Amino acid sequence: MSVLLQQLANGVIQGALIALIALGYTMVYGIIQLINFAHGEVFMVASYGGLATFTLLPDDLKKSPAVALPLMFVGGIVVAVVVAVIMERFAYRPLRGAPRLAPLITALGVSVFLQEAVRVWYPNATSNLPYPKVFPEGNLTLGSVNIAWTGVLLVALSVGLSVILQTYINKSRMGRAMRATAQDPDTAKLMGVNPDRVIVLTFIIGAVLAGVAGVMFGGYLNNINIDMGFQNGIFAFTAAVLGGVGSIRGAVIGAFIIGLIKTLSGQYMPGGTQYDYVWIFVVLILVLVFRPQGLFGEPERVRA
Amino acid sequence: MSTVDSSAKRSALAPLGKPFAIAGGVLAIVAALLPWVTFSLNDGNWPDKSTLQFFDAPFLVTGFRWHLLVLGVLVLIAAFAPIPSRGRVVRALGWGVALVSFVNAAYITVKGGGLGAITALDGATAFGGVVGIVAGVLVILAGYGIGVEPVQDWNVKVSTPVAYLVLLVSFGAVLYAVAAMLTTGGVGTANPYAGAIFLSFLGFAAGLLAALSGVGFVRWLSALSEQHRVFSVIVLAACALLLPFTEAGNEYWMTVAANIGIYAATAIGLNIVVGLAGLLDLGYVAFMGIGALVAANFSGAATAHFGITLPFPVAAVIAAIVAGIFGAVVGSPTLRVRGDYLAIVTLAFGEIFTRSAQNNIGGITNGSNAIPGIPALSLFGAEFNRSISIGAVKLPAGVLYYILIVLLVAATMAVFANLKFSRIGRAWIAIREDEDAARAMGIRTGKMKILAFLIGAMLAGLAGAVFAHKNGTVSYESFKFLESVTLLAAVILGGMGSIPGAVLGAALLFVLPEKLRDFEEYRLMIFGLALILIMRFRPQGLIPDRHRRAELANEDVGGAPVDEVHVGPKEAKA
Amino acid sequence: MTALLEVRNLSVAYGAIEAVRDISFTVEAGQIVSLIGSNGAGKTTTLRTISGLLRPASGEILFQGKPIHNDPAHAILGEGIAHCPEGRRLFPRMTVEENLQLGAYVRKDDGVQADMDRVYELFPVLGERKHNKAGLFSGGEQQMLAIGRAMMSKPRLLMLDEPSMGLSPIMTQRIFDTIKELQSLGTTILLVEQNALAALALSDHGYVIDLGKTTLDGPGHSLLADQRVRDAYLGEAH
Repeated sequence: MSVLLQQLANGVIQGALIALIALGYTMVYGIIQLINFAHGEVFMVASYGGLATFTLLPDDLKKSPAVALPLMFVGGIVVAVVVAVIMERFAYRPLRGAPRLAPLITALGVSVFLQEAVRVWYPNATSNLPYPKVFPEGNLTLGSVNIAWTGVLLVALSVGLSVILQTYINKSRMGRAMRATAQDPDTAKLMGVNPDRVIVLTFIIGAVLAGVAGVMFGGYLNNINIDMGFQNGIFAFTAAVLGGVGSIRGAVIGAFIIGLIKTLSGQYMPGGTQYDYVWIFVVLILVLVFRPQGLFGEPERVRA
Repeated sequence: MSTVDSSAKRSALAPLGKPFAIAGGVLAIVAALLPWVTFSLNDGNWPDKSTLQFFDAPFLVTGFRWHLLVLGVLVLIAAFAPIPSRGRVVRALGWGVALVSFVNAAYITVKGGGLGAITALDGATAFGGVVGIVAGVLVILAGYGIGVEPVQDWNVKVSTPVAYLVLLVSFGAVLYAVAAMLTTGGVGTANPYAGAIFLSFLGFAAGLLAALSGVGFVRWLSALSEQHRVFSVIVLAACALLLPFTEAGNEYWMTVAANIGIYAATAIGLNIVVGLAGLLDLGYVAFMGIGALVAANFSGAATAHFGITLPFPVAAVIAAIVAGIFGAVVGSPTLRVRGDYLAIVTLAFGEIFTRSAQNNIGGITNGSNAIPGIPALSLFGAEFNRSISIGAVKLPAGVLYYILIVLLVAATMAVFANLKFSRIGRAWIAIREDEDAARAMGIRTGKMKILAFLIGAMLAGLAGAVFAHKNGTVSYESFKFLESVTLLAAVILGGMGSIPGAVLGAALLFVLPEKLRDFEEYRLMIFGLALILIMRFRPQGLIPDRHRRAELANEDVGGAPVDEVHVGPKEAKA
Repeated sequence: MTALLEVRNLSVAYGAIEAVRDISFTVEAGQIVSLIGSNGAGKTTTLRTISGLLRPASGEILFQGKPIHNDPAHAILGEGIAHCPEGRRLFPRMTVEENLQLGAYVRKDDGVQADMDRVYELFPVLGERKHNKAGLFSGGEQQMLAIGRAMMSKPRLLMLDEPSMGLSPIMTQRIFDTIKELQSLGTTILLVEQNALAALALSDHGYVIDLGKTTLDGPGHSLLADQRVRDAYLGEAH
């Protein structure tokens, strides 16, 4: 029983991380119907950006978590946003109106490029890099369940940011413009909505969330490597599809389901953690085949 | 947008077209004769006597200087001769001049530690590189000035014997070019300037090829070869079999060429799925892996799971069948899933394969220890990895593998070509263009799509079986996601749906790393960048399929560009 | 005096197919001008080109004397041209209120709420159900919302594409009454209609478009009386 509870807690934390990344996938897909394969790498780059920020800090600031941690978030987010904006402007925007496979292939190229760029240019990126200890330490103990404080922070950030995002999309003027562009881009233009601005903003929001996720990932797992983007990116994409691509609530709920599947299958399914990855893919395939609109998606949104 | 740009350029440059072309052509010739480097670099003089040497005997220049000379002369010819789409040809030649000059100048600058190496230093001057780059830019601008018009179709009909002759000569030239491409700069790291020599040659070849393509010759030739496709495949195979007798006939290049061949065969299989049927498969290399694993397990290797050793042909057939079955299984979601969602399904299958193989599923993959010690193939007692002698001619080691793989590639090409022009191929193309319309016309789309996956997977399985024996080791590491992307890139780079394209794409993607050891570290990064750039500037690939060209590139389609965020189903639905 | 909108020798092509070739017409301020013609004549393409969704292959579009045919679609509304597209094209998963707010997207002034109330006054049914999703309304109600949404930007020129399509005769009459009312409030209107009779009866000026060309033009009532128009578009048999 305590094992189950512990794994449930771990699953929720994993889910919180995946949710932050999944929101970027789901928003971009909702607006330009692009599987932005490189979004996982934006998350990875942000993690390195956070680490680099810490490394560049003067020594006395490194010792003060209250200063260092927010600066790391800023650093990670800035790097993620810059990468995402450049990517949108120079890789994807020229391809609008091109056949749909073209931007998908471009996204693969961007993904490979970003991963390699970090591997080659970031010092010692070929091996795991330790993340600085500026995060709250220790555990929250609830009965037999231990939850690291970083995990609690991760869940709080994830849920909090998704609520803020949902409100922004539903209530603000730009949020309306984004929804309008997603529903009918031509008519949105007739309303005076500049699609370029909406799309860039979408990428920026996704990058900010991925930036938070990147830094928190380092804090929670204590070290980072260049493969983290691909793997977590796939998990997040699966979550977005599971929840119904384009739906913010769906992505978050999907992410928690994926997180739970990962920890629970690693515990209880044959093959253990070596195969948890495989179960997620099995779920992905089943969802795509039997309910491609996802749990919360609307069938009309499923595209040829 | 693009239309507006080019017309704007044309209006400003129009009167300068011809003078620029003449000036650029002359400058390219001058550049070929100027010295290029002001001093002797640490690794020795820059090749082709271009260090501090003027050439007084123009037709004795060698290497890249000879290439520049040829390009310069061709520019002058193109400027005066009455040829179709002159602007396009001139622009292509200009790119050739610019690339050759840039590659050499950039290398010299880097190796020589500064701009002094290509300008003036210690009283010595060497402006070859600068002049060459200027010449290239001038000629490119001249191309725009003259006006880049769509490639015209040649309506030249020739009798069968003449067509055969043209094809023979052309493929012979291709053989020569391939041998030259492999041998320029020598083997691996022997020559410190190998990378530069090779890239420079590639720039020259690309310029020439683009010029031939611009004038309409390539399109005419490809139409001709489609008309006589049996003959073409035979000649091409014969040319390939002659490669061991050229300069490239040594063990090193036989091995590299054999590896390229394996990937080329796999790429052709992938081309069926992606290029013909339009189904993006991101886990394709798994089928190659399955084929390799099956062959490895029946090979009699020490760690093989089954205690049975089967002769290679039998094992290869089983490998193809098993891979084909998996292909059909992976393809079955196509009944319900389309487009990019399907791509993700295939990616998921690929990842499941990698993960399962890594964990030694069922004991058949041996996990991360791989299956080593797979015996080399042998035929009539001749082991494939030894050198052989036929009479007085001694052929390098690995030549038998090379021959086997050439036959494999030829067979896959024949399968591809016949399918493409059959009822099945037409059904695939119809599905690719518009699945709903295809269904309305009575095509059983589901069956056809699964068939595409099945045939593609079988070809990959077969290639995998050869791969297992050729390399002697089968590890899941060889069949990861990145390999799938590489194969996909080969198909796209070459041109989706085009047979020579897939071979060219595979060759480039697998030869370049051999040639550019200096850049080993940057290989994948350049490769990711290349994918982005191809999709941006030449989505139809280097050798586009004639039927597909209009669909992927809008340069040949007239009309007004429309700034839509995206076109297609969404709009149709509203 | 320059006309409010002037279209000169406009041609538009989809790929190799020319949908509009050489259309010219003018719309004077305060008028209702209608473009009539059979299906596929190029009327919708013309409107989509004016509002920047399509680029002309040749020709000019001048609004208040200023060329606008190179402006992006999202900038056209700011110039003062609102386009109420064919098939209404509401945002079906947004509420009435949100649709109207999007209509006023480019406005920075604080009169938006007042204008919204005016739309509710004009179409009370919208006001009663302003928090319902637009996709749930009937065809006529959706058309009202579409017109209301286009009005929210306070355009100088309102372009209406087939406002009567798919509506009952009673509803059609209400829509046409509304158009007349909008004119009386000072809005210039460019109307595209298949219902040529009703459109011409309402119009100060009409243009007949056939196979992508302007073939006839004149004041609405004189076109109505023209035998060629009656033969071709008003379904009168001899």
